[in-house]
Amino acid sequence: MIAFVAFSLKRAWQGFWRNSLMSLAATASMVLMLTLLSGMVILFLGLNATLDYVKGEVQVVAYLNDSATAQDVAQLTSQLQAMPQVSTVKYVSKDQALKNFQVSEPGVADLVDSLPSNPLPASFEISLRDPSDYIDVATFLRDQPAVDSVQDIAKTVSQMTAVINVVSTVGIVVLLIVGLTVLFIIVNTIRLAVVARAEEIEIMRLVGASDAFIRWPFVFEGAFVGLLGAMITIGLLMLVQAPVASLLSSFFNVLPVQATAMVGQNVALMVLGTGVGIGVVGSYVSVRSYLKR
Amino acid sequence: MAKSHPTDPTADGTPVIALRGVTKTYANGKSALRDVNLSVPEGDFVFLVGPSGAGKSTLIRLLIREELATRGKVMLEGRDLARLKRRDVPKIRRRIGIVFQDFKLLPNKSVRDNVAFALEVTGTPRASIKPAVERVLRVVGLAGQADQRPSELSGGEQQRTAIARALVHDPHLFIADEPTGNLDPLISWEIIQLLLRINEMGVTVLMATHNADVVTALRKRVVGLEDGRVVRDETGAAYHRED
Ligand SMILES: Nc1ncnc2c1ncn2[C@@H]1O[C@H](COP(=O)(O)OP(=O)(O)OP(=O)(O)O)[C@@H](O)[C@H]1O
Ligand SMILES: [Mg+2]
Repeated sequence: MIAFVAFSLKRAWQGFWRNSLMSLAATASMVLMLTLLSGMVILFLGLNATLDYVKGEVQVVAYLNDSATAQDVAQLTSQLQAMPQVSTVKYVSKDQALKNFQVSEPGVADLVDSLPSNPLPASFEISLRDPSDYIDVATFLRDQPAVDSVQDIAKTVSQMTAVINVVSTVGIVVLLIVGLTVLFIIVNTIRLAVVARAEEIEIMRLVGASDAFIRWPFVFEGAFVGLLGAMITIGLLMLVQAPVASLLSSFFNVLPVQATAMVGQNVALMVLGTGVGIGVVGSYVSVRSYLKR
Repeated sequence: MAKSHPTDPTADGTPVIALRGVTKTYANGKSALRDVNLSVPEGDFVFLVGPSGAGKSTLIRLLIREELATRGKVMLEGRDLARLKRRDVPKIRRRIGIVFQDFKLLPNKSVRDNVAFALEVTGTPRASIKPAVERVLRVVGLAGQADQRPSELSGGEQQRTAIARALVHDPHLFIADEPTGNLDPLISWEIIQLLLRINEMGVTVLMATHNADVVTALRKRVVGLEDGRVVRDETGAAYHRED
């Protein structure tokens, strides 16, 4: 068994270099496709992070009557927090609202000072788990006596939800198409590499080699092509990582730094798995047609 | 002087090759063999002759189970090839040594490595490969050229390399499909001498050929195929029918 594996590995290594042109072509297309694939995946992950961030930004703002008591506020807070659609609840008092206004509009601060009383209402700023739940929360709030009005962002929310859905669907479809193209091209390149060795397979069959002895060297060779392609791809990605990361964070503006490291690790694992997997499956399938008879 | 050869298996001992009512029709509808009966006892030397397209190579493909008979039985050393399990096919092939007109050598391997290849790919332990290779290289007279590649050999030497590779599993049956088709008459004779020696070592030999001089000179058993049928089967015969 060990002798068999050693034999297969040795033959795979020899096979790779003997047909170096074919092997390099297979490796090159592997690198090209894996780079394309990981580019797509990174873009997709960045997009998803952005969408998550945007979703988190959707807030329901409810303005309270000036007559609302501290008890009303406490009760509403706990009721809102109990709602499954709600992720966070923030209470902004009248004083806080005034301070916020003065900070954001310093030009009119003097004007505010001259007013006899604070005209700004207290409010709740409520973040949602899913922007499409906006209506539920808004309706609940409108029914509360302590609530004066609810900011109407229904239209904005529904537009944004639609955009998010379209973007996710298109992303998944594009990813799928790229993935299938990768598979197709690589399987065909490997098949060509196997066809180039048809005579060798014929000789092996004639001298009485068992299927395993014919198949496994090719499968290992495919795995080798996948491994090499994946390592070159990961090397390339590491080279361009810094510029791409800064590009991404300036483009999406929201990707947290520690997430980039995690994305990098996941993409590396994906590239390795996909490369080796496609190499193995591709050569297994290619050599199978020669063993059928 | 030619006498008819019995096609039934000899009373004692199983024939190495036995075909009973074998018909082979290819997928395109072409019948390459029709109702062929043939029995070759152990130690025989048989020439398979007939015009191009008569079905000689087809018969050989059936013997190595590259193809299956459409009708009838193909038996090798008493085993029905149609009922052979898939994983036993390689084992049968190791009992057959086969060479072709094109030598089917690997161009980037030396003579020694081409021969060793047959043992490596059948899982022979490393230690026993070297002595076995050296032994067959001596049998075919190539011990001196063991490190050369096929491109550095004459046609005759390439065919002898192929013969060495075919011998390295100690086959019971040796099949040659037009082994001298690419060689000049003198070199052809050397190859034939080698096949006769292999036969003298007790190996049954079946050789498909168009080489009339060789067949006629040697006066061995001759099986003639025409349009997929056995039209003659005589021992001590010439290439052409003499009656
Ligand atoms: N794979 C195949 N599919 C269809 N027809 C085939 C196939 N192989 C051979 N034939 C046909 O079967 C017939 C016998 O072919 P075969 O190769 O056995 O002849 P042969 O006696 O070896 O001829 P030659 O002396 O030229 O080598 C021919 O008519 C050939 O065209
Ligand atoms: Mg032929």
